[in-house]
Amino acid sequence: MKSRSEWVLPVLTAAMLVAALYLAFVWAPTEKTMGHVQRIFYFHVPSFFTAVVAFLVGMVAGIRFLMSRDFRFDELAVSSNEIGVIFTSVNLVTGSVWAKPIWGVWWTWDARLTSAFVLWLMYVGYLILRRSVDEPGLRGVVAAVFSIFAFVDVPIVYMSIRWWRTQHPQPVMFSTEGTLDPQMCLVLYFCLLAMLVLYLCLLQIRRRVERLRHETEGLRRLVHSA
Amino acid sequence: MEETLKWLWIGFSCAWVIHLLYVVSLGRRAKKLRDELESLKAMVEERRGK
Repeated sequence: MKSRSEWVLPVLTAAMLVAALYLAFVWAPTEKTMGHVQRIFYFHVPSFFTAVVAFLVGMVAGIRFLMSRDFRFDELAVSSNEIGVIFTSVNLVTGSVWAKPIWGVWWTWDARLTSAFVLWLMYVGYLILRRSVDEPGLRGVVAAVFSIFAFVDVPIVYMSIRWWRTQHPQPVMFSTEGTLDPQMCLVLYFCLLAMLVLYLCLLQIRRRVERLRHETEGLRRLVHSA
Repeated sequence: MEETLKWLWIGFSCAWVIHLLYVVSLGRRAKKLRDELESLKAMVEERRGK
């Protein structure tokens, strides 16, 4: 039986996602030049920022693991980074679907798209790397060091549209340059909040799975060593 | 307008299919680990009994 506190986050997540859907599909005004497809923006942009938060948590947890060798931090790092990969996948896929009717292509190798794809590849590499090391202590150390290097790409992705000429629109979040409609801006920030709550909910579930994996691994070693 | 709605629907579906598949994969992983843990615990108990 799950305790009441374990249900709070999933229920809150579901409620916020339903509200986010209503705001994005009904309440937000339709963009004049792109039409309804622009509403992808309310999932595309928050997915990226949620992935950034997930990778940041993963990196900080990795550093804490290096300092303390406490496996709870390693558990948090792998859980958060894996969820970050999921949100980056959503960002890349929704971006590609948005690009097709607007740019006429599914994909173009411009600075923003390429750096975001490299970010996704690096964190997929992180997950593969973890699977290739058997010894838990060494696995945690190697993964933590790798995640610190992988995180370097996050500011590159964010700044890529300022540093290089790209097809991608200029930033609208955490920027003073954007000229986003206030109603659209409100929906965007609400969707970001909903995605962050979804991240916390997934993190709660993923950490439970990781704890179970850790326990199983420990017992497997005990059985095979006896 | 109809055309842009079609792309919005595709993008929206892709986003939620990815999340849904991930949640399903977490459930399957948890179940597999729980089963393995149970069998390992049974093995340990069996060895203790001998």
